[in-house]
Amino acid sequence: MSLNLTYSTINKIFDPNSKNPVHALKDVSFSIEPGELFCLLGPSGCGKTTLLRATAGLETITSGHILYGDTDMTTIPPFRRNIGMVFQSFALYPHMNIFENVAYGLRVRKMEEKEVRRRVTEVMELVGLSEELKRNPSPTGLSGGQQQRVAIARALVYEPDILLLDEPLANLDAKLRRYMRAEIRRIQKATNITTIFVTHDQEEAMAIGDRLAVLRKGVVEQIGTSDELYTNPNNAFVSNFIGKMNFFNASLVDSNTAKIDATALTVTVSPERARLADDLKKGSEVLIGARPEQLEIVEEGGEGTIAATVQIIQHLGQVVRYEVVLDRAISPTPMEVDMPHYLSNVREQDSVFIRFKEGLPFLFNREEQN
Amino acid sequence: MSDNPANIKKMRKDITPYLVFAIPLAFMMIFLLYPMVLTMLRAFMPSGNKLQVGAFSVEGFTKFFTSSMYKKALNNSFIISLSVTGLCILIGVPMGYFVARVKMPGKNLMLSLGILPIIMPSFVGAFTWVILLGRQGVVRHFLNVLLSPLGITIPTIYGMFGMILCMTLTYYPFVFQLAYGAFASANSLLEEAGMLMGASRWYIFRTITFPLILPSLGAGALLVFVRAIGNFGIPAIIGGDKYVLPTLIYFRVNGFWDLNGAASIAVVNVAITGLVLYLQKRIVNRHEYETISATHSEIKQHESKAIRIIAFVYCAIILVASLLPQLTIIVMSLFEKWVGLFPEGFTFRHYARIPSYSHKELFNTFYLSIMATVLAALLGSLIAYITERKKPKGAALLDMSIMMPFILPGTVVSVALLSAFSGNSIIKLTGTYTIIVISYMVRRTPYVYRSVAASLSQLNPSLEEASTIAGANWFYTFRRVSVPLIMPAIISGSILTLTTLLQELSTTILLYSSKTRTVPIQIYGAVADGKLGEASALSVVLLIVVFVIVYAMNRKQGKSISSAFKMG
Repeated sequence: MSLNLTYSTINKIFDPNSKNPVHALKDVSFSIEPGELFCLLGPSGCGKTTLLRATAGLETITSGHILYGDTDMTTIPPFRRNIGMVFQSFALYPHMNIFENVAYGLRVRKMEEKEVRRRVTEVMELVGLSEELKRNPSPTGLSGGQQQRVAIARALVYEPDILLLDEPLANLDAKLRRYMRAEIRRIQKATNITTIFVTHDQEEAMAIGDRLAVLRKGVVEQIGTSDELYTNPNNAFVSNFIGKMNFFNASLVDSNTAKIDATALTVTVSPERARLADDLKKGSEVLIGARPEQLEIVEEGGEGTIAATVQIIQHLGQVVRYEVVLDRAISPTPMEVDMPHYLSNVREQDSVFIRFKEGLPFLFNREEQN
Repeated sequence: MSDNPANIKKMRKDITPYLVFAIPLAFMMIFLLYPMVLTMLRAFMPSGNKLQVGAFSVEGFTKFFTSSMYKKALNNSFIISLSVTGLCILIGVPMGYFVARVKMPGKNLMLSLGILPIIMPSFVGAFTWVILLGRQGVVRHFLNVLLSPLGITIPTIYGMFGMILCMTLTYYPFVFQLAYGAFASANSLLEEAGMLMGASRWYIFRTITFPLILPSLGAGALLVFVRAIGNFGIPAIIGGDKYVLPTLIYFRVNGFWDLNGAASIAVVNVAITGLVLYLQKRIVNRHEYETISATHSEIKQHESKAIRIIAFVYCAIILVASLLPQLTIIVMSLFEKWVGLFPEGFTFRHYARIPSYSHKELFNTFYLSIMATVLAALLGSLIAYITERKKPKGAALLDMSIMMPFILPGTVVSVALLSAFSGNSIIKLTGTYTIIVISYMVRRTPYVYRSVAASLSQLNPSLEEASTIAGANWFYTFRRVSVPLIMPAIISGSILTLTTLLQELSTTILLYSSKTRTVPIQIYGAVADGKLGEASALSVVLLIVVFVIVYAMNRKQGKSISSAFKMG
């Protein structure tokens, strides 16, 4: 019933004939499984919204193909694609009540009144707005979360092949956002419609998506489940976008060992954690990456330690986060070290030492950090 | 990139929008751009009405240096527009400040009354001042009696003094309303911050409040200037032997059928307006600030008794003076004559004869205004939709060309249309209803356009995209989503258009024939013949119609029409 959605070498160039053409999507190719909840994640300007709008047909693409099953959708105008979309601003019609808002796509399809009623009632039940439907107010009278549900109902009611969500939670407050992302996942699993969810919030993406694609400057950097992206990042950018990663400037000694700049310390990582370009020579500039929980603070110096100064101590509950400053040659930005316990002898501004936990760090190419 | 341009896929387009959009574009080309180009050509031809290609002459322009009549007219236009602009600022800014910042009763009433002078036809104001300050005017008579022991006499309304007074009292509401808006909506935190840093009230006004309202003030001053330099009715009625550019144009066309000469004057007239617009933009742009607004708190108002009394008296005097004409015509319309202190001979005769004497004019006025309004609403909405939503190449040019009539005096539009569609031109329209409807459309389409464009720019495009995604084609989306959402803007733009067209004089006066005479033309004629009673009764009818429309719209839309008029 449901089919694969495939992107095949998609390129999008805005203003190709102007002085500053913007290459928003570069050879984007991947495939989304039927019934999957797929997240497009990346910083603003990475091309995620462009890709979503191209899927909807609201944006033309410069080259490439979008396939649904074996059908090429690239040239089908948006209103014939049978797609549902929830906009960041919700885009509810203020001149229609919520029933008519939800029924809109059915009216376009000239469905019988009885069927329209049945479908609207059913979908409003699904999104949990049966009570509101009885009063049937204008959408302007609803709270943000309720408007969100109406927008989702409106996109689902005509049983689209694909559901697109464009930063749907961005306009909600923090508490509601956390609740609605569980709701969206529940509704998506109940309908089993292939769904693409765009967000710039990695926590949201990790919580909601079956799989994630991380985009940067129009390029897909990595695709995988939350766990794969967190534990096996392909490069420095992904590692620091999905969770926090501390980076140490270093130079390569052999294929999985590097010496940290301004120290005599060498770090060897397990071979599968050395994510370096194949042609990298000995002595090349690289980055050693370690997550906050992969470092630890010690009060005494010694073998394998680096001097640091504690700047800020934050007690976060399960962990205590120490923000420490190292020699600028190692890292121009402060590092975060998470310790399971509070160190009673360490105060802010104290000099301490940090140490890698055995075998856990990564090696990355240096230019990929940003 | 592997794909070469030949492989680039084009999206299959829905062609309905392009067909629909071709119509307004064609209209603009034929009835605005083409006549304007012809006017430019004619301006450089020897006087007469022949359009001879190759006969180049700057005769029409050299007259501004040789003919004393031209020189004086140009001079008068300058003096009048500049002093009216200056006086309007002097009157309007304090009044705006008082109403916005001083605690006093009746503020809403003042704001409503303060919009009336620009809703009323300006030439009606002019001839009522004749009753009040004319050779035997009531007020003049009264003041002269009062002041005779001191040896002072009040000048009559005819001439420069009268024109400036009359225009100032007609146009000050533009400055007043805009200044009020700026003073009332200014972020009070900015001023409070200044106060905490130790600045005095006057220092704060000078360094914070005033610089921030400067853009609004510039916009208001421009509106006044453009109207003052383009006004035909007031100089025509009380100018006496003092000509200004619009009356000079009328004189060239009506007296000599010298279209080429009129075109030269028109070009000069527009050039001045364009120059002032340019200067205003340059000055204002340098002082345009983004408002960084956090939470808005209520603006603190002056509460001291002295200031409250001064403010109230000041506003009351201005309002009474500017509304005196409206009161006067109501009285005048019910009496035979009004010479000296009191009107004489109470009568309903002036009203009683309207059905038999003016039925054709009434029909024409409504027919022409309503036709033009409906068409302008269609045209304006469509063009606004194109420029805002489709963003075609040259949208800026389209925007500029449609806004051009905004600064074109009515007489200039008439000259342009006559240039293109009279005599031996391909399409001959002189004396027809069509040419008047077209002139109205050209002049008023910007009203609807502005209003709809503003509303569309605030409408999130995703509302329309959501409809497309749901499966609706362009026309369905346009009908069910776009039009209902911009309807309030279309209506308010149309009401503004209709009410101003019902009283239109400066364009019609050069285009009407005995068949297409309108009520304002008849009023103008009656004033010229000295039949003030008849003119007053007709004006009252016009006023009532306009007032009812505006009032009804206010009731229905639940928002003040004044905001719409400010823009006009």
